[in-house]
Amino acid sequence: MSDAQLDLRIPIDGEDSIIAARQRARQLAQSLGFGALDQSRIATAVSELARNVVRYATDGKGEALIRPLPEGKGGLEVVVSDAGPGIADVDQALGDGFTSGRGLGMGLPGTRRLMDEMEIDSGPGRGTIVTIRKWRR
Amino acid sequence: MKDQERSATQLIEEQRATINELQTPVIEVWDGILALPIVGSVDTARAQDMNERLLDRIIQTRSEIVILDITAVPVVDTAVAKHLLETVSSARLLGAEVLIVGLSSKTAMTLVHLGLDLGGVITRTTLAKGLELAFERLGLRVVASESSRDGRQS
Amino acid sequence: MARVPIIRVGDILLATIQEDLHDSDALAMQEALTTQLERTGARGVLLDFTTVQTVDSFLGRMLNDVVAAIRLLGATTVVVGIQPAVAVTLVELGLELKGIQTALDAERGMRLLGMGIDTNRRHR
Repeated sequence: MSDAQLDLRIPIDGEDSIIAARQRARQLAQSLGFGALDQSRIATAVSELARNVVRYATDGKGEALIRPLPEGKGGLEVVVSDAGPGIADVDQALGDGFTSGRGLGMGLPGTRRLMDEMEIDSGPGRGTIVTIRKWRR
Repeated sequence: MKDQERSATQLIEEQRATINELQTPVIEVWDGILALPIVGSVDTARAQDMNERLLDRIIQTRSEIVILDITAVPVVDTAVAKHLLETVSSARLLGAEVLIVGLSSKTAMTLVHLGLDLGGVITRTTLAKGLELAFERLGLRVVASESSRDGRQS
Repeated sequence: MARVPIIRVGDILLATIQEDLHDSDALAMQEALTTQLERTGARGVLLDFTTVQTVDSFLGRMLNDVVAAIRLLGATTVVVGIQPAVAVTLVELGLELKGIQTALDAERGMRLLGMGIDTNRRHR
């Protein structure tokens, strides 16, 4: 039902791709009518997730899939996936103790706060898929 | 049919924006001082809208002091306190200081019992006191003029 | 790869942070600032964020680090030009940059640095 032509697939494989992914996400957000604040929230969330891939995934490689959501007032979804070692304890990663620290932690609680919805599909040895969504208000 | 839906939705959005602005106007009470009188309950959507407009206004007016007046906010609980603190923090990032005025004794006790001390934010009980402090911060003083109030020259 | 330009104005160093700073540029900037501080004996650093639209936790932490390093070298930092969208995002991420002096823009920032930072008396 969604217009697959508007889906953006961005390979994540290094610093440049973190910037590319968040720029594309911001652009799509803008074209979907999100205001400046929400554009920033979305760009920042994508940046956090892409950075996790570069930092923790096998070879630092993964993918970001950015797509518009047609339901309701419309929204935007980003699915960041990698085939890395996976998150051993998702609940712990979502707890606030894992937010700050010097380069430690995956910034997941912060990302969650910025978005309306977040789903994490991960486990030891089976990679990670993080899906985030934000809706137009 | 769809066009009608869209313009009806648009109209509702515009009206909502207007209501938000009327409910919490950002007033420039003096050169560099903004006042934000909040009337009624504050939910997340309202807090975010208020904050966004305030930050834009800070930039527009180059204000350095913001007075948040919560006299007319009926309930100040953890959620509301969190929103207020977020406003304080974001305004600070734009170089502005936020003073909170209008705390009732009831609110003060509630906050204490909740274990919230508003993190060192400066507060005053009334808008007038807040304004006084704002002037002080900006190095301003209010002085009586020479002619008396009813117009007679002294 | 864009490098962060650092300009010296009197005894103040001015660094203009560009939007979409690569991680390596951010680290290079940290190094450049501390090196220049040592070399010039500058007493103040102005970090201008006016053109930055996205600040994630990495940049936020790097900023905290650079301010701490500058402080250790006896100088003061003022961060200016943070945009509303960035301010809100930083706060929502829980990175309010506590303890870091901020001002609306470069002009105000310079004034803050020039007059010594006295938060009790500010002049326009």
